[in-house]
Amino acid sequence: MTTTRTRRLGALAIAAVFAAGACGTGANQSPTASAIPSQGTQSQATESQAAESQPGESQAAESQAGESQAAESQAGDLSGEIAISGSSTVQPISQGMAELFNQANPDVAIRVDGPGTGDGFQLFCAGETDISDASRAIDEEEAAACEAAGIEYVELQVAIDGLSVITSTANEAVTCLSYADLYALIGPEAEGVDNWNDAEALAHELGSTTDLPDAELQIFGPGEESGTYDYFVADGPIAEFAEAQGQEEVSRKDYNSSPNDNVIVEGVAGFDTSLGWVGYAFAQENAATVKLLEVSAPDGECVAPTPEAIASNEYPLSRPLFIYVDKAKAESNPALAAYVDFYLDEANLTQVNDEVSYINLESSALGETRSAWEGR
Amino acid sequence: MTTASRALPRSLHRTGGADWRGLLFHGLLLVSLVFSLLILFTLITDVLMRGLPVFQERGADFLTRPTSSSPARSGVAQGIFGTLMMAIFVSVVAFPLGIMTAIYLEEYAPDNRLTRLINVNIRNLAGVPSVVYGLLGLSIFVLALGPLTGGKSMIAGGLTLSALVLPIVIITSAEAIRAVPHSLREAGYGVGASRWEVTRLLVLPNAAPGILTGTVLSLSRALGETAPLLLAGAVLGGFSTGSRGLREQLFSDYTVLPVTIFDWSRRAQAEFRDLTAAAIIVLLVITLFANAVAIILRNRYERSW
Repeated sequence: MTTTRTRRLGALAIAAVFAAGACGTGANQSPTASAIPSQGTQSQATESQAAESQPGESQAAESQAGESQAAESQAGDLSGEIAISGSSTVQPISQGMAELFNQANPDVAIRVDGPGTGDGFQLFCAGETDISDASRAIDEEEAAACEAAGIEYVELQVAIDGLSVITSTANEAVTCLSYADLYALIGPEAEGVDNWNDAEALAHELGSTTDLPDAELQIFGPGEESGTYDYFVADGPIAEFAEAQGQEEVSRKDYNSSPNDNVIVEGVAGFDTSLGWVGYAFAQENAATVKLLEVSAPDGECVAPTPEAIASNEYPLSRPLFIYVDKAKAESNPALAAYVDFYLDEANLTQVNDEVSYINLESSALGETRSAWEGR
Repeated sequence: MTTASRALPRSLHRTGGADWRGLLFHGLLLVSLVFSLLILFTLITDVLMRGLPVFQERGADFLTRPTSSSPARSGVAQGIFGTLMMAIFVSVVAFPLGIMTAIYLEEYAPDNRLTRLINVNIRNLAGVPSVVYGLLGLSIFVLALGPLTGGKSMIAGGLTLSALVLPIVIITSAEAIRAVPHSLREAGYGVGASRWEVTRLLVLPNAAPGILTGTVLSLSRALGETAPLLLAGAVLGGFSTGSRGLREQLFSDYTVLPVTIFDWSRRAQAEFRDLTAAAIIVLLVITLFANAVAIILRNRYERSW
């Protein structure tokens, strides 16, 4: 008995020595650790890189950005880190651009994440990212958070998307829906409506003349966390009528929501008289299984979502896609400034947008974006 | 045992000539088997049908390229690297810690209320949803220890996964150690061996096959996890490493195969569906490889009593 007790005590003593050792090293490290907060390490690194690189380099990159050949001769000059997060819709553009940029500047480490527009702004306004991708404009709450954190940003439109209202290819009764129809079918007052025809009375009251078929209604759409959802309710048909009807700007709660646009498309394709909305690229890529409906704004004509109609804003559900750039970080990080310069080059942007089947801005709109960036 | 074997013939007598209940039960068992096999078969054929053409078309190119915005240039290299690094982390961090904890609990700790409480808690921890471990990883390894781990880094991800499998490693190892017959230990003590000698020379060699199988199986579970790593900073999209060396990459961006699969499944281009299937095949192969290692190790060390 005594031997086991002494042994146990001995083991305890050894464990205590280990623990003390661990605590000791912890204590030694903690001053340095607390002196450098997690973003601190990053910004320090970028500052030292800023000091190393020659001034005027970003302009040089800009002038040569058009020809990747010419830019390649510069290879290795730029280094540093760029952190991008935000909308999963914009992610392919930023990612494609990062790849193109890396061909010319292989030493720049770029991270492109796509958790969603809202999550992206949270990180951005906490100073954790340099660029925030967004499929809608920053909202008041988010802007206030950025202001409170002292983060100044510049909003740059980089592409345009058309929210596409889709149904199954088997649904021949519907070809065009007005804003009033969409409000009556998907808006807050549509709760419980499970037949297209049941929404007709409200739609006609709001000025629509569409005949809605007597068919079962199944709705598939993005979840509330998505920028695609926000745009539909806050800038689209629901916002159009909600206030006058004394309703909140929300959709009905009883629809099939998914954060994955491909799941929405599959749901719509799988049910004959379905209704849903996704970004244009997703509808377009699946045009064999889903039908893109025409949409008419109040007092407007039915417009089909074609690249031209979306780019010219003739299509009522055209929505801008943005990147938000942290001004202070663009100032201190030449790699970031060069990346944005590269991003806004028309040839580069066209190449990337075409590759990921997104719609290019008209030249004049891109010109405005560029002057917003240069005037930052 | 004896009452059961005595009761069996009596109940058989009761059913009489045609044992239709028994037949029904037999049929039910077969149906369940066929049903589960059918699901597995459908899943695997679907994935193979979609994914194999990608390998035929792209070959090694698919395995050596990073993720990309374009399906034609996308590959799983970063995912494979991240997944293998996670495997190394779990093997280096969770296995020794877990196995040593199990040895302590089974061989050294006195059997009192405290150790029983600890045992129950470890069992409960093994049942905690993996997302919760993701939150733990986010708050401890990414945020609190950010200055040491580099924030959303490979190390933070590896530590999160290690925390996730630790309880499973402890439980399976403890089971394996408990399965070593007591007579063996008593024989060891009988010839004057110390506890350390009994543990090292008798218990561990005999528990090894069980411990190895359990730990390797827990590893393949860790490799399939998506949710905790999304929280612990795996990149859901793309990243380039710039001029970072291997050591710096440990402290910076990473991704793993399940996260790559998740990202590709939500892309617009239809070609990404096939790439998703191909990435799933790669993940399956890695998991099967880990399981095969477990089986080989078990067969190699197994003894019968």
